[in-house]
Amino acid sequence: VTPLLLMVVVFLLFPMLNALYYVFVEFDGLDPSPPWVGLSNFKELVADPDVWAALKNNLIWIAVGTISPLVLGLGLALLVWPLERGSVWYRMAFFLPYVLPPVAIGVVWSWIYEPSRGWLNRALEAVGLGSVTTGWLGNPSTALYAVLGTAIWAAMGFVFVIILAALRNVNADLVDAARLDGANAGQRLRYVILPQIMPVFLMVATLTGGGPAGATDVLGTYAYKSAFQLNRISYGTTLALVITVMAVPVAIGMNRLQRKLSLQGMGA
Amino acid sequence: MRQGQAARRPRHAGRHVLLVAISLLVLFPLVLTVSTAFKTSEDVKVNPFGLFSSFSTENLVTAWTVGEFGKYVLNSILLTVPSTALVIVLSTMGGYAFARLPFPGRGIAFYLVILGLLVPFFTYMIPLYFQLRSMRLLDTLLGVNLVLASTELAFGTFFMRAFFLDLPNELDQSARIDGASELQIFLRVMLPLVLPGVGALTVFTFLQNWNNFLVPLLYLPTAQYRPLTTGLYLFLGGRSVDIGPLAAGTLITILPVMVLYVALQKHVTQGFISGAVKG
Repeated sequence: VTPLLLMVVVFLLFPMLNALYYVFVEFDGLDPSPPWVGLSNFKELVADPDVWAALKNNLIWIAVGTISPLVLGLGLALLVWPLERGSVWYRMAFFLPYVLPPVAIGVVWSWIYEPSRGWLNRALEAVGLGSVTTGWLGNPSTALYAVLGTAIWAAMGFVFVIILAALRNVNADLVDAARLDGANAGQRLRYVILPQIMPVFLMVATLTGGGPAGATDVLGTYAYKSAFQLNRISYGTTLALVITVMAVPVAIGMNRLQRKLSLQGMGA
Repeated sequence: MRQGQAARRPRHAGRHVLLVAISLLVLFPLVLTVSTAFKTSEDVKVNPFGLFSSFSTENLVTAWTVGEFGKYVLNSILLTVPSTALVIVLSTMGGYAFARLPFPGRGIAFYLVILGLLVPFFTYMIPLYFQLRSMRLLDTLLGVNLVLASTELAFGTFFMRAFFLDLPNELDQSARIDGASELQIFLRVMLPLVLPGVGALTVFTFLQNWNNFLVPLLYLPTAQYRPLTTGLYLFLGGRSVDIGPLAAGTLITILPVMVLYVALQKHVTQGFISGAVKG
């Protein structure tokens, strides 16, 4: 345990405490005794329109990035559920994007979104939607959603695999009974299947919650840029710290909820 | 599902058709990568995204030699294998201690370790940069291996502790009565029982560290130990026009992950799921 604790202290606790110090000074990365500036980093942050823009994008990211993979993953799981064969192959195909390096994913999707020769625009033209084609990543009003689309593509398989595992525990006799009583597919899903997988469903929601690639990506990118590209070390650290303080209560709440649900879900 | 065979077949056939179509759509970006990577350089210029319109390995050769992806593969291994091994050893021993050995300050120590699950990496990434610089660990294999390992330790310890907690108490009691030492209990009695957990954690940690982008980007500023992820990223920035070698570089970057995934598909999926459920 001692070496474990040592690593935690050196590479986690110490830099975290250092972060607390950085936010009250104006550090440029070189000056060994940077000037004390009190709360001015925080004041600048509140007044920075870029921060608010990033926060808005971040909220969109969380909302869309949580709901879409859940819905798509559930849909796929319901499609695969009754099959006796081939589910291994589908699981393999749908889950693969989740394990690939994000950088490589980004490269390939930038080709798909490419304005003139990319497959997305070509596919849209082929079905007669040539008017909506655009440079998906270059156009500021579509860029966020284009990146979200990629993130959803990667996260969907994760939801799918977990929900499929939960569906395997659903009591099939109840579903059959409902069918014999004349319940249609929508009613069976709403009243028979969903209640049984609800704990697991909510648990996955808390897991993907915060979006496929982490709740704070948009704001985090801005913090990174401030610190390492503009050399505003202290400002970037302040931003990162404020994001964390906003995210931690949510994370703790989610974790509590998730632990409760996973106990129910796995016990059932 | 109690309809006759005759009624079931066509319905499932429809599902299979739909699912195969969706699978192809999901896997399309990978098909595109392979297709572009194997094009001739003239074909890439005219028609970079047309599927399988020519064949040549010149892009792969260019990426491997001029693009230095051969070196990046080696660096990725040098950064992933030691850090993963360190995580496995420390997390397994730490998880065991936190689950089974009462010692003073255990509660506080455990919360300290778990803090890493709560606090995202970017909160302290900036101070850590300057800390590594003053420790002279910046741009070294040792430093980045230690950082990579430390980012996964919180999860690993938490994960392994859950496995050790599930084992019955009678096990170590009876071993102790038989005169086994603490180390023997750990190695001979406990460890074999949590091997599935160790396996899942190994695959999970390996993939996380292999795919990690931010840590090498920040703490390996020079090209000396650059791994595949940042190598691909900087290759992209350097010459965005050469789509052919870029596709080949992308293929080289994802290929090890894909091979591992296809070979150990069940373990990978299980690792991620149990990681999610226990974490």
